[in-house]
Amino acid sequence: MKKLIETYGTALAGLALFVFLAIFANNFLSTANLFNVLKQVSFLSILAFGFTFALITSELDLAFANLCSLSAVVIGFLISSDVAWPVAVAAGIATGLFGGLLNGFLVTVLKVPSLISTLGTASIANGLAFMITGGVAFVGRWDQNFLYLGRGKIGSVPVIILFTLAILAVVLVLSTQTRLGVHLQATGENEEAARRSGIDTRKAKMIGLALSGLGAGVTAMFLVANLSSAAPQMAGDFMLNGIAATLLGMTMFTPAKPNILGTFVGALIIVMLSNGLVLLGAQYYIQDIMLGIIIIVSVAVSASVLKRAAFAL
Amino acid sequence: MPVKISTRNIFKNYGAVEALKGVSVDVHEGEIHAICGDNGAGKSTFIKILAGVEQPDRGEIVVDGKPVHFDSPHASLTAGIATIHQDLAVAPEMTIYQNIFMGAELTRNVLGLRLLDKPAMRRAAVGYMAQLNPSITDMNAKVNELSGGQRQAVAISRALRWNADTVILDEPTAALGVRETEQVLDLVRSLKASGKTVILISHAMQDVAAVADRISILRTGKNQIDLEGGDLTADNLSHYILSGTGDRFH
Repeated sequence: MKKLIETYGTALAGLALFVFLAIFANNFLSTANLFNVLKQVSFLSILAFGFTFALITSELDLAFANLCSLSAVVIGFLISSDVAWPVAVAAGIATGLFGGLLNGFLVTVLKVPSLISTLGTASIANGLAFMITGGVAFVGRWDQNFLYLGRGKIGSVPVIILFTLAILAVVLVLSTQTRLGVHLQATGENEEAARRSGIDTRKAKMIGLALSGLGAGVTAMFLVANLSSAAPQMAGDFMLNGIAATLLGMTMFTPAKPNILGTFVGALIIVMLSNGLVLLGAQYYIQDIMLGIIIIVSVAVSASVLKRAAFAL
Repeated sequence: MPVKISTRNIFKNYGAVEALKGVSVDVHEGEIHAICGDNGAGKSTFIKILAGVEQPDRGEIVVDGKPVHFDSPHASLTAGIATIHQDLAVAPEMTIYQNIFMGAELTRNVLGLRLLDKPAMRRAAVGYMAQLNPSITDMNAKVNELSGGQRQAVAISRALRWNADTVILDEPTAALGVRETEQVLDLVRSLKASGKTVILISHAMQDVAAVADRISILRTGKNQIDLEGGDLTADNLSHYILSGTGDRFH
């Protein structure tokens, strides 16, 4: 019984939240609102998947949100400069991936703890984003095929939700059903044991942080296509939300371990909560307070990996 | 028996500390070769070098007549040498079967994708564990739920899984009770019976006297005395380690 609560307790609480909002929050169950929630979940969960992979290897990535903003302005800049949109998107995704690889290099080769190195790259990414835009946003009437990625629908279902489910399936299989997935986990659980078992732990950490950067790049593509604008700091709010989704995810399914399914459900709960608070007429600042509480309580409940990552200084 | 692993004049310094000052040991194939010595004699450093964890400053390692260079633990493993370190190096939060197959997971083809074959790993893990500790049957149990002896069993199972022909055991009985020690010594004997070469590092002279075919005693970074096992007692061995001379003790 205790084990069931440990494993599914948070997910059940999420279900209870859904029922509560369905009853008490006007419009929560409207199709438009539910799709809106799922769209927000899409951005948040793809970003948080990346953070989760880094955390699985016991490394923190505090740069993913700023990397996402930087990737977004790269895409916006190139499209505004009449570069073909697929090229712009590729360059944006490559920007995120490169940022992640840079984090990996700093952590595994220069041995700068990830808490510090990603804080540094976060600041660099932020500065570069402002440099590229000159402080303003790129907006425009962009190619319809590009905008379809963020706004298109199949029937009444936004395509971005379908993309997200496909990405969820891929990263779920990658993290739980492949050798790479177990190697990332073993590296995070006991680096020395993994190394002695023949696992290239530097490569594992590199891949974990690179996936985090890749998630930032992919999210940037969807964000820009959805908003048809690109501004520095546009993904700033996703920083704490993404961390909170991952940490909340650590309280379910495989307790105390960062896991993809947990992150996805964590993202669902956090977006539902934000959305519900707005619908219930709560003040805007309540969301930040809730987020802080979620982060602290999640770690208090499920600790180990995160504490190891944060205190590896 | 032919020589399986030979070290020639291995030197290793840590800053100003000379940990090894010319260790030359011949380990014969299919034998249990014990490495003994007091604290600080260089046993751990010597094992780390054979395991590829540390690299020697000078000297040569020869496996099956060929000089080798172990620049990583993986290089040592692929040369057929599996090392079980004293700290076991298990991941406590992972399951028994995940620990046994760490780094060498079994896969199967699913729609063209190479995915983990968890049922096969669980089955094989039961087989490995049964040789050592048949009481453990739930391969999904986390290692941190096991006793010290059971963890040792997991670590040894991992070495068996590597199909190594040489197994190095670093103080395998240090944290174990009497019954579990006997189980581990039985395993050492069964490793030998299955044709494997075993290098055993131990403080427990009784254990060494009970199983070793050959014994090298390290003293201040050198192998001072090389002995054949068989009729040695624990007291004999303690005398050699303390006196540092090869004179027979009566």
